[in-house]
Amino acid sequence: MVLVKSLIVSCHCRIPEISSANLLTPFNILQVQVRCIGNTGCDTGAFTWEKERGGAGDMLHQHKDKENGGARMKQKPTSLHNVMAMEIFESGLSWEVRANSRHYHKHKQKKSFLCFHWGRYADNVVHSYKYSPLTFLPLTLFEQFQRVANLYFLLMLVMQCIPAISSVPWYITIIPLVTVLSVRGLKDLVNDMARRRSDFEVNSRPCDILVSQSFDSAQWKDLCVGDVLRIHKDQVIPADLLLLCSSEPHSLCYVETADIDGETNLKYRQALSATHTQLTSQPSDETLAAFDGLLLCEEPNNSLYTFRGELHWQGECHPLDHAHVLLRGTVLRNTAFAYGVAIYTGADTKILRNCGKQRVKTTQVEKVFNRVVIGIVLSVLLVALLHAILSGVFSSQVMGNADISSTVVVNANPVYTGFLTFWSYIILLSPAMPIALYISFELIHTVHSQFIGWDMEMYWQPAGRPAQARNTSLNEELGQVGYLLSDKTGTLTQNRLVLRQCCIAGEIYGDASVRAEDVEPMDLSWNPFSCGGLHMSAPSLVEKLRGQQCPPSRQFLTALSLCHTVVTEWKEEALFYQSASPDEETLVGAARELGWVFLSRARDFISVSELGVTRQYQLLALLDFTSKRRRMSVLVREPEGGLKLYCKGADIVILERLHKDLQYQERTERALELFSQACLRTLCVAVRSVPEASWEQWRKTLAQSAAMATCDRDALLEKLYDQMERELQLLGVTAIEDRLQEGVPETIALLQQAGLKVWVLTGDKKETAVNIGYSCKLLDPDTRLLEWQELRQILQAPDPGVSFFKARQMELWAVDKKMAGAKTAVVLTGPELAEFDQRPEWGSTFMSLAEHCQSVLCCRVTPGQKADIVKLVRKHTSSVTMAIGDGANDVNMIKTAHVGVGMAGVEGGQAVQNADFALSQFRFLQRLLLIHGRWSYRRISLFLRYFLFKTCGFALVHIWFGFFNGFSALSMYETWFIALYTVLYSSFPVMCLGFFEKDVSAESSLSWPELYKSGQRQELSSPLILALSLLYAVYSSLVLFFIPFGVFYDTALDYQTMAFTVAMAATFTATIEIMLLTRNWTKINIAAVCVSVVLFFIGTGITHSTVLFKKAPADYIFIGVLAKAFVDPVVWLTALLTAWTAVLPSFTAHAVNITLTVHDKQKVHSISPQPVELKSTFRRGTSLRRSPNALF
Amino acid sequence: MVKQEKEFVNRPDNTAFTQQRLPAWQPMLSAGIIIPGFVLIGLAFIGIGVALFVTSQSIQVLEVDYTGVEQSSPCFKCSDPDVKNCVCKMEFNIDSLFKGPVFFYYGLSNYFQNYRGYGVSKDPNQLSGDLDSFKVPSDSCAPYEYVGKTPIVPCGSVANSMFNDSFKLYQIVSGAKIQVTLDGKGIAWWTDYNVKYRNPSVTPLKNAFNGTVKPTFWSKPAYELDPTDPANNGFINQDFLVWMRRAALPNFRKLYRRITEGDYAKGLPAGNYSLEIAYNYPVLSFDGRKKNEFLGIAYLVIGSMCVVMSIVMLIVYAKFKFPEEE
Repeated sequence: MVLVKSLIVSCHCRIPEISSANLLTPFNILQVQVRCIGNTGCDTGAFTWEKERGGAGDMLHQHKDKENGGARMKQKPTSLHNVMAMEIFESGLSWEVRANSRHYHKHKQKKSFLCFHWGRYADNVVHSYKYSPLTFLPLTLFEQFQRVANLYFLLMLVMQCIPAISSVPWYITIIPLVTVLSVRGLKDLVNDMARRRSDFEVNSRPCDILVSQSFDSAQWKDLCVGDVLRIHKDQVIPADLLLLCSSEPHSLCYVETADIDGETNLKYRQALSATHTQLTSQPSDETLAAFDGLLLCEEPNNSLYTFRGELHWQGECHPLDHAHVLLRGTVLRNTAFAYGVAIYTGADTKILRNCGKQRVKTTQVEKVFNRVVIGIVLSVLLVALLHAILSGVFSSQVMGNADISSTVVVNANPVYTGFLTFWSYIILLSPAMPIALYISFELIHTVHSQFIGWDMEMYWQPAGRPAQARNTSLNEELGQVGYLLSDKTGTLTQNRLVLRQCCIAGEIYGDASVRAEDVEPMDLSWNPFSCGGLHMSAPSLVEKLRGQQCPPSRQFLTALSLCHTVVTEWKEEALFYQSASPDEETLVGAARELGWVFLSRARDFISVSELGVTRQYQLLALLDFTSKRRRMSVLVREPEGGLKLYCKGADIVILERLHKDLQYQERTERALELFSQACLRTLCVAVRSVPEASWEQWRKTLAQSAAMATCDRDALLEKLYDQMERELQLLGVTAIEDRLQEGVPETIALLQQAGLKVWVLTGDKKETAVNIGYSCKLLDPDTRLLEWQELRQILQAPDPGVSFFKARQMELWAVDKKMAGAKTAVVLTGPELAEFDQRPEWGSTFMSLAEHCQSVLCCRVTPGQKADIVKLVRKHTSSVTMAIGDGANDVNMIKTAHVGVGMAGVEGGQAVQNADFALSQFRFLQRLLLIHGRWSYRRISLFLRYFLFKTCGFALVHIWFGFFNGFSALSMYETWFIALYTVLYSSFPVMCLGFFEKDVSAESSLSWPELYKSGQRQELSSPLILALSLLYAVYSSLVLFFIPFGVFYDTALDYQTMAFTVAMAATFTATIEIMLLTRNWTKINIAAVCVSVVLFFIGTGITHSTVLFKKAPADYIFIGVLAKAFVDPVVWLTALLTAWTAVLPSFTAHAVNITLTVHDKQKVHSISPQPVELKSTFRRGTSLRRSPNALF
Repeated sequence: MVKQEKEFVNRPDNTAFTQQRLPAWQPMLSAGIIIPGFVLIGLAFIGIGVALFVTSQSIQVLEVDYTGVEQSSPCFKCSDPDVKNCVCKMEFNIDSLFKGPVFFYYGLSNYFQNYRGYGVSKDPNQLSGDLDSFKVPSDSCAPYEYVGKTPIVPCGSVANSMFNDSFKLYQIVSGAKIQVTLDGKGIAWWTDYNVKYRNPSVTPLKNAFNGTVKPTFWSKPAYELDPTDPANNGFINQDFLVWMRRAALPNFRKLYRRITEGDYAKGLPAGNYSLEIAYNYPVLSFDGRKKNEFLGIAYLVIGSMCVVMSIVMLIVYAKFKFPEEE
């Protein structure tokens, strides 16, 4: 954690003018802003320096830090430059920016030539592309030869050029190698072109730069450090700017940081008062052009939430912090103009400094396979060594015989012969290491990714967005996911809040059992401000309101329209609300529909139109929301003169502060129960009439306590607030639905059936998370919630497993017979999780417990903790983890998990940018995992196994042949066959298998989620399976050699005929094996199989032809073999027998499998799918109510 | 219309391929198909095996070992490499008629004609009649490339080690020897004789070999291999072609002659024969082997395995399928 000094100014303010508090959104909840505007009291404000914790990714802490509103700190004018040099040295503020002096910075701009770089300031041009026409070839080759496989084959190629050891001519390797390199290079090139285009698009965005007295329209790339810019409303900010002034009062301006942190609420930024007063007094371009401040700030860094700097201007030094800075990538909102001076541009900006490189993820299957490949290479080396030794022995023996057969051994020295033979065998056996595999692998992955994008049923029509596989190498991992870690807001829920019900004076309005879309809209035509969007039908309430019958309901709505921190905005004659908290926005919007229209907020007045009558309330105090208080209040003076405190907050908090004698308490509590059973978020609304005298006294105490030191002050303020918020009168309860996305419960149920553990990680509070857990079927009504204290006891127990099961059967549960078989879910919160840091040994225990649990809910977790949980799961289980989220707070976990899925939703694009897959709806996970994932896993596993079999089975023949040719590394095949076998004769059917194979249809995959479990267990790709494939390959190579050996032994049939026979047998074997593996025969599969066999004969015919021989007698020495062998029944019969014997184990295994297993897939086809139980049960109410309190 | 198009922006194509709904055939194999299939394949293999076995049984083979390792062998005296121009006679007896056409092979054991270094030791260009390669043979021929500075033609190990024993076969009819005509035509591959190996187009052939020497091991130059037939000389000499076609394995046979003409065209009648061998080739070891029945037996074995396996499967299947009946 970096300790950063920053300035906190606490002001003694009479009226907190604008104060924003966020309710209930996950990450904004702790954000509190106390803003002091106006002169009253502020000059006497105490300055306190406080150490503040900061660091990227730790947003929760960041938001806790109070933002600095009207900081103004004046230093005595000193001899500036003398001091500066020292200050720079001491403070590290070494980044110097001179406003409006372009030539000064231009001169020092970063430049580079070849690998030399100089200059200090980056230009504002984004270069994300890698290649230029000149550097493409060397760079791409350099990159590609960093892959071991490519390097290995390059080595082979070089070795093949040495005649003494060249057992196979060089052109055999160069064909596949060049193919692989060029395909890969082309792919990189295309990607780079796309990057170039997007760079160009970004670099040529327009912006207004001040050039000699006036603003000229320019492009982003022209921007230079020190330039003064004018930003229009809704414009993206092109560089990190120091805000000088804005069109709004006090030079406030609002920015949306969705692209940086995913939060859609507005943030405030405010200019220094010095620049504000001086530059806006005569608002013209000239004053800005004359601005000659000198900025000293820290070196460019990646911390988004801290900034240190000083502005030296007009002989004064003004300290700067991050509240004065507009970051590149944020969007200016609600502000007509803002002026700023560029501090960091281009690569120096905070957002670009944050663009970490995407971590390269490799899949489990690939890892296992890579190990197998390494195994193969080692075995090849070993075999080569063995053969080399034997060859030395052989040649020395032959040398001993002084007869004609010694003429065969050309080289005299056995050791030298052995040495050469070693290399020759490495070359000869190199086809066992499948180079074509990597390129085919990539091709299959790409096609699978395309299939995901092409899937119509994963296309989200309202947004026009298909699913997207951003990382094209993780497809098979989708078929193996064991843990799904999901964000809540925006992922499970729509992040669109709707007021569904309310209870006023004990009367419940609205009906939550009707779906929000099906609610009959009320006739609100009498209300000119109504704009729809109310999903609550309560004509009786409207009647009462309009008929002025029910004072509590009128007060209830007044409370809703006053007690909030919403900001209004007029856009095209319509009123828009913007708020940091979606809950508030919903409530204010609902009040507006019902006739209580919040019109505007001035410094100390709130205007509300109540059924057409505009009333002004004087705002006296705003007691803001904190997660600890869980309530907020406003104290207003009514137009009639009375003082009223309106308060809204969590039920528990409000209920305990109520006035003693209450009429509706019982009925309201019943309503609360009902609402929470329907999974609605509830807030209680209450009112209190405050006597003038007590307000006067309270105000004085507040003024005193505000001047105190921070730590004491917070406690004091709390106490003070508490004094005000008591003896409340309950007005009613609001029930907001955080609407689940379509199909979430079904999806979760299906995924759980498929053996996935679904965990929810959210920044939200526990109750909300648990509620959502119930409503999305993650928790069953009878699920027992295991909370921290109990869990802690279990973890601390000497034998956690035993005590866990004991705890499950403990008194609480044993009493209730129905609960005996209850399932358990763990509920944890962020601070509790932090304990795991201190007790690393708990991790594995916890995970083994969690395995028995239905689910784990983690609430109030920071982005960093989300990632830590993913790491915990990754560390202690071998399962594949998948993280799904939609906001910037999920980026960390998305990057950490094996597979990251980003929801392309309301929040900014950060999650999608960093995700491997992008979906628009949570329910698309069904198809992504159960269909695409399962198929991909199956296809790729089969593909790998088959590839291993076909290449090894084919190449290992040389080992056995070595024993009968004096270990001389003679190839068992015609060299052309070696080159063409992998490329032409055996590649198409296996590619088709990789593209089209399916064991069961898409529909059956969904109706039989259990089929997914085979992927989780790695049934098709375990090291054992791959080892068996390897063993099978060895067997088939033995067969491929020894049956023809038996036939050809001591006969007049020559070497070339035998080579052809073995080649034909190998091709047949590969073809029969793929036919056995293929279950789904499309026309393309059939064509591919036929084409491969036909190509074998055509290809062989061509290389054995007279025409080619005449062109190059040395390269086509197999002339005439095909013609001769074609008519020889011995060749055919041998090839047939060999191929059949080679695939016999596989065939038998298939047959035994078919005979023995009760046919899973037949079952799948014959039994119709069962619908998922979806009825909402309300039984769980009891256990839920009990959960937070009663358990302990 | 425009609006509708807008609604489906970015929508994926709805084709069978993109939606992975290509019509496909999913063979539903069951035990009812698999087990009989296994039996059928097994029976077919047994059938082929029996046919091959019967065929190989009907082939009459007679092997004569003339290596001369044993002292009792008539060729023992020739097995000493120092003895030049040695001729020995092997006498043997045929019980019944050898039906024609009779093929006459010579066989070598533990002779690694498939040694890689040996196999590449030739110059394909030279052998296809390229006169430039006569003067400068390919490096691959080393160490049989030059004698002193004179190039060897044909160069390389393979040519150098050409088998040079020659045979004459006599039938002994009441003490008189009747020579059996051995036909040496057409024993090589057609492509070898007509395409792969070519003499340089120089007449007389001898002139093409000016400035070259014969391989060190050869007693006669290439253009004088067959004094009886001028067309059977140079690189297209049938014996040379047979030798140059390398054997696959260390134990091999090569066709020497066929008996297709004259009185013996229909076969060798029963009786006593004498084989006169001009013993030149210094080979020591030789193992006699029986005729090759491997393929037929292999078919029989694999076929029987299939049948046995299918029976086992049937039993297992029956037990598995009807366990409750027991």
